[in-house]
Amino acid sequence: MSKHTLEVLVENSPGVLARVAGLFSRRAYNIDALKVGPTENPTISKMEIDVNVEGHALEQVISQLDKLINVISIKEILPTNVKPAPTDTQPDYQN
Amino acid sequence: MSTRQDFTKNGTSMNGATSLVKSLEAAGVDVMFGIPGGAILPAYDPIFDSSIRHILVRHEQGAGHAATGYAQVSGRAGVCIATSGPGATNLVTPLADAAMDSVPLVAITGQVPSAAIGTDAFQEADIRGITMPFTKHNYLITDPAEIPRAIAEAFHIATTGRPGPVLVDIAKDALQKETVFNWPTSVSLKGYQPAVAPNAQSIADAAALITQSHRPVFYVGGGIIKANAAKELREIAELLGAPVVTTLMALGTFPHSHPLHMGMPGMHGSVAAVTALQKSDLLITLGARFDDRVTGKLSTFAVNAKVIHCDVDPAEIGKNRFADVPVIGDLKHTLIALIPALKAALAKNRPDLSTWLRQVNNLKSTYPLGYDKPTDGSVSPQYVIERIAKLSAPDSIYVAGVGQHQMWAAQFVPYEKPRTWLNSGGLGTMGYSVPAAMGAKVAAPDTTVWSIDGDGCFQMTNQELVTCALNNIPIKVAIINNESLGMVRQWQTLFYEGRYSNTNLESKRVPDFPKLADAMGCVGLSCDRPEDVDKTIEKALSINDQPVVVDFRVHRDAMVWPMVAAGTSNDDIMIAREMAPDWDSQEL
Repeated sequence: MSKHTLEVLVENSPGVLARVAGLFSRRAYNIDALKVGPTENPTISKMEIDVNVEGHALEQVISQLDKLINVISIKEILPTNVKPAPTDTQPDYQN
Repeated sequence: MSTRQDFTKNGTSMNGATSLVKSLEAAGVDVMFGIPGGAILPAYDPIFDSSIRHILVRHEQGAGHAATGYAQVSGRAGVCIATSGPGATNLVTPLADAAMDSVPLVAITGQVPSAAIGTDAFQEADIRGITMPFTKHNYLITDPAEIPRAIAEAFHIATTGRPGPVLVDIAKDALQKETVFNWPTSVSLKGYQPAVAPNAQSIADAAALITQSHRPVFYVGGGIIKANAAKELREIAELLGAPVVTTLMALGTFPHSHPLHMGMPGMHGSVAAVTALQKSDLLITLGARFDDRVTGKLSTFAVNAKVIHCDVDPAEIGKNRFADVPVIGDLKHTLIALIPALKAALAKNRPDLSTWLRQVNNLKSTYPLGYDKPTDGSVSPQYVIERIAKLSAPDSIYVAGVGQHQMWAAQFVPYEKPRTWLNSGGLGTMGYSVPAAMGAKVAAPDTTVWSIDGDGCFQMTNQELVTCALNNIPIKVAIINNESLGMVRQWQTLFYEGRYSNTNLESKRVPDFPKLADAMGCVGLSCDRPEDVDKTIEKALSINDQPVVVDFRVHRDAMVWPMVAAGTSNDDIMIAREMAPDWDSQEL
């Protein structure tokens, strides 16, 4: 597991925090810390999300966040750990 | 975006409800499925005068699946409409279903008046909150001025990129208030720019990787249907001359009869398709998502294969399986770019695939799909489905429920064209078939539409046959009646020592399906002898002015084979109970 901080610009629309929080919850990603604040543009808010994920899962978090229509941009800031090499597959499970 | 802006001029004054209906007309909607109720009632007044055909269903779930069936056959967005609270929550299952199978759907719901939102008002439910996880996007509209833009965006989002469901929840007072109609000329969303054209470098990388492969397979998913790229798929498959497997969601994208077609992979896939993936050195993945029903135990799936993953949704890349070459873009554009690149690469270096083709073709001929006839003279369910496919017109559409009958309908109908096979693949929604078949028939009124349903599934949503009877939607329903929740019973046979806890539906006793059909304004038929199967099907095919329901009373213990048990490796595929393929006789 390694810690990453994502800076996410979102449209300042009702429900946007629920959309982001719900995504993390349903995809079983962990949020270590979350900060939401205004930007100079009143229609856009900025979220800073600290996530604790394994290897290639960060790319998944970013890709899934990017699918939210209200998410405008995502960038990673201040990585506290070097990203490990991607693993080939998800863990096995019985469904 | 398809628009019919000639209908109503921008700047015209009207109430929000009329603005909603004018917006739906402007978006090109010709049919919608729904039920009125208090909060949506203002919209039903202008619907009364609209050019849009509104089909009054008997349950909102039926409206949602009907809109899905319509979308799957027509390739256009399906539309359903319901009131607040229970009307809206009844749409939850079809919305989740459409999200899993990437179906373009627009759902309109009424909401309690904006001043009442949050007060636990009568018939209030936070449908925007409820549907967030399985809509592509959703809206809560409280200002009538926002209605046209929200509807335009909803259709844009639902039908572009990876298609999906969009819900627009509108407060009752926003429908009642006066507003000015203003249909946007274009839709632009800061946070939504779906990929269209693939990256040129990734196309070149894909072509290069293909020429280095000696055991390539086209692993084709439902994305090919959404992209209308069946023609391009056939072209590239024949260009390379590599085997093709089509997933449950992709049946019909590549002709069943084509010599390169190895069938369906997955839990109940053919030995040839499952093994072609397992032994491959390159999966050319087109609009498929490495679902657990296809991969089996993921860490043992196609371990020696590199992966080219072409998909319109970047989040599918690397979700379950690492992609050596990701190609993000619309699949039609991708294939149109990849075909000439591959042609040029093959001209320089064409790998010899003859050994590989011989191996997979050997599996295909050694292990064809088959079934044992019951020894007690009863009807075999697979035989019924096989005969329906044989006796019906070649362009007929088949819509399955979920369970054993669904797998047999996938295995024993030879699909030759896209959009002739509909089912609930991702969510596995029992009850999908009858309403989805209704929607399919509305989209293709001149085509025979068969609902292949189970006796369990049928009892979940059959009330829509009333809708079919009253609205001249003459679908045909084949109930594969094994008086059980058959697939669950199969798992109980295999994994729970035959302890049949709560899977006995007794549906050969109650209900009397032909009588039920008759009561709903349909023709009811019954068949319980193998020698009567053909003439019963022919009778059903001869009736085209009423829905027909046939109760095929079939053998109870038939099981779906082959099978890769959940959580096991595709290498452990069984062709019958405790019977693996004879791998020693294969040169793989």
